[in-house]
Amino acid sequence: MKLLKVSPSPHVRSSESTASVMRDVIIALSPALIWGVYAFGFRALTITLISIFSCVVSESLFCYATHRKQSVKDLSAVVTGIILAFNLPVSVPLWLPAVGGVFAIVIVKMLFGGIGKNFLNPALAARVFLFLSFPNLMANCFVSPEANKLSPLALSPSIDGVSSATPLTVLEDGVDVSVRVDMFYGNIGGCIGEVSKLCLLIGFLYLLFRKVITWHIPVAYLGVFFLLAFCFPQGDDEAMSFALTSLLSGGVILGAVFMATDYSTSPLTASGKLIFGALCGGLTIFFRYFSSYPEGASFAILIMNTFVYYIDRITKPVKFGGGKHAGK
Amino acid sequence: MAYTFLGGIHLKENKNTAHMKAELFTDVAFVAIPMQQHIGAPCKPIVEVGDTVTVGQCIGENNEALCCNVHSSVSGKVTALEPRRVANGASVIHAVIENDMQYTVCPDLKPVSKPLEELTAEEVISAVRSAGVVGMGGATFPAYAKIQSALGKVKHLIINCAECEPYITANHRLLLEQPEAVIKGIKILIHTFGVRKATIAIEDNKENAIELLEQKITDKALIDIKVMKTKYPQGDERQIIYALYGKEIPAGKLPADVGCVLFNPETVASIYRALSSGMPVVQKRITVDGDCIKKPCNLIVPIGTSFKDIADRCGGLKKRFARLITGGPMMGQSQWSLDAPVTKGTGALLFFSETKEEIGQCIRCGKCVRACQMHLMPALLAAYSEKGKYEECERLGVMSCVECGCCTYVCPGKVPIVQYIRNSKGAINEQKRLLQQKGGN
Repeated sequence: MKLLKVSPSPHVRSSESTASVMRDVIIALSPALIWGVYAFGFRALTITLISIFSCVVSESLFCYATHRKQSVKDLSAVVTGIILAFNLPVSVPLWLPAVGGVFAIVIVKMLFGGIGKNFLNPALAARVFLFLSFPNLMANCFVSPEANKLSPLALSPSIDGVSSATPLTVLEDGVDVSVRVDMFYGNIGGCIGEVSKLCLLIGFLYLLFRKVITWHIPVAYLGVFFLLAFCFPQGDDEAMSFALTSLLSGGVILGAVFMATDYSTSPLTASGKLIFGALCGGLTIFFRYFSSYPEGASFAILIMNTFVYYIDRITKPVKFGGGKHAGK
Repeated sequence: MAYTFLGGIHLKENKNTAHMKAELFTDVAFVAIPMQQHIGAPCKPIVEVGDTVTVGQCIGENNEALCCNVHSSVSGKVTALEPRRVANGASVIHAVIENDMQYTVCPDLKPVSKPLEELTAEEVISAVRSAGVVGMGGATFPAYAKIQSALGKVKHLIINCAECEPYITANHRLLLEQPEAVIKGIKILIHTFGVRKATIAIEDNKENAIELLEQKITDKALIDIKVMKTKYPQGDERQIIYALYGKEIPAGKLPADVGCVLFNPETVASIYRALSSGMPVVQKRITVDGDCIKKPCNLIVPIGTSFKDIADRCGGLKKRFARLITGGPMMGQSQWSLDAPVTKGTGALLFFSETKEEIGQCIRCGKCVRACQMHLMPALLAAYSEKGKYEECERLGVMSCVECGCCTYVCPGKVPIVQYIRNSKGAINEQKRLLQQKGGN
């Protein structure tokens, strides 16, 4: 007698998969990537491709070496690769993204059990690793958009004459509106993916529209960040102007939209996400004001990553029938 | 604004059979009627092999609590009394009856002697009990016991017409085809419980049924229609009560504890039929659908008809057929063969092809947390259960899970969350049982 297949309920599933979610994230990242290539030239694309390649190959080799099921098909390594490249200046030597990719995937992600199990954001941890290990390659070259001249294939380009002061250091002098407009569209120096706030916000809207992320973390993060900058302005600038310039400079929007919302390393509940986002915003301001590193968003998010377990614990939802609506 | 609840999911509805009139399926050679089609102890057969039986004749009885009589659904000869497997896998005595195709009705069946509105609660309860009426939405809780336990506690009488599972349209068709039976049944229940009015709770995807009911209900003060958003699991009694009255049933309590009682429309129509004509529950409305049945349709079948006969009646099966689900695709049961019969709780037969689903990893996206109607954290429950940390599961409220399947449906990582939760609930119950045993010694 032919037996039928049996399985536990539910017997239908949504068509969504990890790969389709990651594909949406890649689509959301692409406007900023296109802007990066437009602003910094094809070297930006080379760096992104090397970073993706490094992440995918490390994950694949790791799975092979440890006899695990190949997991590269879920596209999460591609996302990590793109976000890592977004956090690098265009002038870095080409081996740097490769090293960063291996660190992000092998050390931060796979050694802790792969997707969903890592407790730090891989791309961000890799950025901080590179920043602390190769400070002169990473920090001293916030490349301005004129860096178009950099050869896309030169192993380590000469960076004389293309580095500009980081926007964060000009913050305190105050800038006028036209500079802020440039900062919004992306006509400023910085890392490959962080310069165009417009493109990042387009990506944010796409992620919201596709229900990949909820609004809680980015809004809480940027809201608290803006509020604190507004209440405690530094330098001679007006409070409003200072807060706006702060919001538009550095990687805070990239961090709030694409890195603080990383599934594995953010809380599960809505209230947890609000707490997490708000504390990220607060810590970013703290590091910008009191730290000698220009790494506010990175450090803030990485530190908050380690608190996710506790935030999940304290924001456990009140179960149905246990709250104030229960009973009569 | 339509009534709704927090959490839940929007499913692909697949209500392909909503426009198909239910067809009577009489051409059944044999029926196998299980002696247990309800929650509670099985009935004892009161016929012998070789006996001739008629439609509606009682063939199984048991006077223990929570038992409901079982009746013959066809007329003909009893050819066997033997243990067989029912849809949930249990081995139950079945009375196999060869259909003489005459459908001779049992002469003992008589309507109640009084006008329906003069019946006392006791008379309704005893008539409902002897007619074998159970919750026909799938729970198969004996209707008489529900009425008995809720008497005096009830302020709200709710008729649950949500039918939120995909594919199933059996209740929708009932409301379109026999609205009078449902409405008259509701009036009996209003009278029995002594409530002022009843509420028909229905999802907004059944517009034609809502319109028809509005026309048919002449006494608007007696029956309210409340339209709810189409969202799964709106048909869960907890969520209907929450949507309508904002009350949450505390864990482990019944609707009656918050002053509500809910009935499925088919149960209500059966109660009416039992009282008005004396005919017990011998037929079941089912939806036959799925990508592997040639002619999806709604059927009214004699209880005891085998799944195989129904598949043949509906044009047969396509070649890639591999799975049969009884009930809805979210909470229904998988069958390993086509031999089991339709019982009072069978709402649908869904014939599906194979899935190529692989078990993946949780990516902590939080979609399950947003989907959970009980406001639990399914991702963590599954993770702890996988590691055998059942105390953690209990701390996170695993025992409140009703296994509606929303978390598993939305999971992009394709983690069988509900199954992990079942494992953990089983283990916790087992532990409690052992502890109790120890305490008893």
